[in-house]
Amino acid sequence: MGVWYMPPFELVQPRDLDGALKHLADWATDTKILAGGTDLLPSMRQRLFEPRYLLAVGRLPELRGIAWEDDWVRIGAAETLNAVAEHPQLCQAFPALTEAAASVAAYNIRNMGTLGGNVCLDTRCHWYNQSYFWRKGIGFCLKKDGSVCHVAPGGRQCWAAYSGDTAAALVALEAQLRLVAPTGERLVPVREFFLNDGQRRFVLRPDEILTEVRIPQWMAGYQGRYFKYRIRQAVDYPLVGVAVLVRTSGPRVLDVRVGLTAVNPMPRYFDVPSEWLEDPPEAWVERVVEAVVRLARPLKTSLLVSPAYRQHLVRVFTRRGLRSLLALPTAA
Amino acid sequence: MALHDIRLKVNGVEYTAQVEPRLLLVHLIRDVLGLTGTHIGCDTTHCGACTVLLNGEPVKSCTVLAVQADGGEVLTVEGLERDGQLHPIQEGFREEHGLQCGFCTPGMMMSAYALLQQNPNPTEEDIRFAISGNLCRCTGYVNIVKAIQYAARKLHPPQ
Ligand SMILES: Cc1cc2nc3c(=O)[nH]c(=O)nc-3n(C[C@H](O)[C@H](O)[C@H](O)COP(=O)(O)OP(=O)(O)OC[C@H]3O[C@@H](n4cnc5c(N)ncnc54)[C@H](O)[C@@H]3O)c2cc1C
Ligand code: SF4
Ligand code: FES
Ligand code: FES
Repeated sequence: MGVWYMPPFELVQPRDLDGALKHLADWATDTKILAGGTDLLPSMRQRLFEPRYLLAVGRLPELRGIAWEDDWVRIGAAETLNAVAEHPQLCQAFPALTEAAASVAAYNIRNMGTLGGNVCLDTRCHWYNQSYFWRKGIGFCLKKDGSVCHVAPGGRQCWAAYSGDTAAALVALEAQLRLVAPTGERLVPVREFFLNDGQRRFVLRPDEILTEVRIPQWMAGYQGRYFKYRIRQAVDYPLVGVAVLVRTSGPRVLDVRVGLTAVNPMPRYFDVPSEWLEDPPEAWVERVVEAVVRLARPLKTSLLVSPAYRQHLVRVFTRRGLRSLLALPTAA
Repeated sequence: MALHDIRLKVNGVEYTAQVEPRLLLVHLIRDVLGLTGTHIGCDTTHCGACTVLLNGEPVKSCTVLAVQADGGEVLTVEGLERDGQLHPIQEGFREEHGLQCGFCTPGMMMSAYALLQQNPNPTEEDIRFAISGNLCRCTGYVNIVKAIQYAARKLHPPQ
């Protein structure tokens, strides 16, 4: 058997959402939700989580399906990233989302990894995503088992970076999340879902299941692209992710949005004020770039490249995205 | 810890087993079923040596619980050969020198198999994309790509 043993747990495999909610009504705080497991299972082997129960949601019928319904496009949270990335109508309607989904991990991970798991991804840090042995060697850290932060020593906050790719597109697309608990359900705009706190991460409660991601159909009129930086393709998580969305009508630019991931404890976004768009793009493109750069606060949560370089790439990607979608000549 | 009864088909053969929920699919395949062609190259879901087909799709079997494969069909490298005849993918790896130490090879071949099922005429870029989740420390990938191109030609000879 492997050196890193999986800690023991009980696996709960309900047949439908009701069954899952029944379990959560009694055991929410002792339970971790298991979707594709591509982040959770390796993390459990590192003893980052040792839940008493894993609640398997990957096969729940209520979490499946991709459908155009009323004013929304509904994507079941348990749809795999490959199902999203290869869905022809989604690729047509929301290219920034499908490009982001296609860029996650590698093909043989995206067949298990789900959209819901990608949205609810844990935050990441060099001092945290390590084996128990390694973490013990440095006296642990604030996020797990310890009391100091090695990134911002002296502080009381965890700055681990939120590193899900699809969220960059979803915040720009003004997607909503359906969260279902034993006591009822709520729809939370993805823009209000995340917290700028590497430890608390988001407003999802332990008794809630993310069942669907829904995107307003009117967002289908936007062109979009996703840009991502990581050291090793197919292996590393993003160190920078930028989604750029543009809506035009002939020569007129109607709307521009930028979503940003992997450089803060939460994804960020910037909607370009409509007054700016009355001027020709060359007058405001660099202003947008600088506004997005100001949102990015990469820290030494990764030692692979410097925070300054990641900040620089936010500038490069935002500029590249805007200039290509607005068909402007490439900047010198 | 409650044990789970599972039933699954591996390389066309029906198996039942009683497993702990934490047993990984790769450990079921290797340690319980004794099919050691599937390799384990890491503890971090990075290397892809453990790639098998689960219900026709390539997945990293070190990151799937055996219980998650319950009711499913698994294809491992042992299932490629038929009646002593190597599969064209295996033949391609031999003919084009697609391996050196061979550790990554079973996973590579499963990713290649899935690709050729879905895309009989892949470009070099398609091939590299399909095997991007499989790391090789030896070959530099060039001969692996050639091996898969060999198999594609053999399976679907140009008209
Ligand atoms: C080598 C490697 C490279 C990777 N590279 C990337 C990358 O480049 N970009 C990236 O974004 N990710 C990456 N990942 C992480 C992961 O594969 C993806 O984020 C994937 O989408 C996670 O989905 P999952 O279904 O496997 O989630 P799981 O691992 O099952 O769950 C992840 C988290 O979400 C929670 N969760 C899952 N589903 C729900 C739900 N429906 N309701 C409530 N909570 C839920 C779980 O409890 C857990 O905390 C990588 C992983 C590996 C192993
Ligand atoms: S930012 Fe600080 S507290 Fe958070 S995981 Fe990194 S070292 Fe730990
Ligand atoms: S053994 Fe390395 S990815 Fe599975
Ligand atoms: S042949 Fe040695 S790892 Fe690929």
